[in-house]
Amino acid sequence: MKQSLALVSLAVVAAAFAVAPMFAQDAPKALGLGAAIPMADKKMKNVDGKEIAVADVKGAKGTLVVFTCNACPYAKGWEDRIVALGNEYKAKGIGVIAVNANDPGKVSEDGYDQMKTRAQEKHFGFPYVVDATSGLAKAYGATRTPEAFLFDAQGRLVYHGTIDDNMQDPEKVSSHYLSDALAAVSSGKDVAVKETKAMGCGIKFRA
Amino acid sequence: MRTGIPFALLSALPLLLAAAPAPAPAAKAATPAPATKTGAQPAAAKAGVQPATATKGPALTAAKAADVKKAIAAPGAKAVLVNIWASWCGPCRDEFPDVLKIRRDLGSQGVRVILVSADFDDAEARADAVKFLSDMGVDFPSFIKVGKDEEFIDGLAKEWTGTLPATLVYDGTGTLRDLREGKQSYETFRGMVEKVLKDGSARPAS
Repeated sequence: MKQSLALVSLAVVAAAFAVAPMFAQDAPKALGLGAAIPMADKKMKNVDGKEIAVADVKGAKGTLVVFTCNACPYAKGWEDRIVALGNEYKAKGIGVIAVNANDPGKVSEDGYDQMKTRAQEKHFGFPYVVDATSGLAKAYGATRTPEAFLFDAQGRLVYHGTIDDNMQDPEKVSSHYLSDALAAVSSGKDVAVKETKAMGCGIKFRA
Repeated sequence: MRTGIPFALLSALPLLLAAAPAPAPAAKAATPAPATKTGAQPAAAKAGVQPATATKGPALTAAKAADVKKAIAAPGAKAVLVNIWASWCGPCRDEFPDVLKIRRDLGSQGVRVILVSADFDDAEARADAVKFLSDMGVDFPSFIKVGKDEEFIDGLAKEWTGTLPATLVYDGTGTLRDLREGKQSYETFRGMVEKVLKDGSARPAS
């Protein structure tokens, strides 16, 4: 009896799933935890004029790839924290790279010269590169800015998501997601909170 | 045409307001607020209610995901389109007229349109949102998201990454049927909604 009840409830659950929405949206699925670094050798133009790839910045203890941009209020709101974390953990053995995948044809503030200025003004101690085809963002399944992907020493994805839980006010942050993940990875520990979300500006993909 | 939908939305309002902790004053705030520079309204403040607007304009009710979901599931709609936008977001502004056009064109067919501003939770940002709504000719109540992002995003739809703009389409039972991130065309919005109108509500057979 119990078994048949269980079967019936299973069938009900299955029926519910059968009508689950099939979204027409064909956005690429974001990289899953444990995934390897996609397109690690894709060369991109850095604000210093050199062409570099994620593989070139890979750190002994891990690698942080942040999709960000100049114009988005969320990216700007978190910018100082991204730079501070990037600079701090670069010194602790994490490779760090910021990637701008926006089409400057759609957002003029995301042009290369503006990126150079921003990196200087905000003291980026790590590369800030142009994803000139938006191909890297697509390979990661990144959708918004800012969006962080942290890989461990073996190059496996161990954290994906936002910076912390309060973009507007650093003083009121209660969960320091990226900072905690970086601390864990740089000391070879397991990341506790592996996936988080926040609102952000849609990446303005190049056609 | 324009009178068709407010009815649908109004019918959702009691539910919304019943759900909100500070409901009644919020309803009052729907009437034009005194246009003070600071937006401060002592009476409303005393009642623990944020002034809905700093300037004259359509009502903007603070909402968490649960409040939006109540408005979605309120009886009376065959399909519900939820558009999440922000006044600083270019693609959101670009597509906004088409969202309003869906409301005008399909409201009489039972399509409810719910607008949710993701403008930041401060007086200045709220004023920006209200100004944009006014400029767009919005003359019906809508929401402004409050609280933590992740709670709001996952509370509304786990499938949503948090990208703005986002457009979610539900059927009459409040089941999510489609979700698009980024700027869409009028034709896309219309297609999303018409599919639900055509298919009806996907309630599992009981």
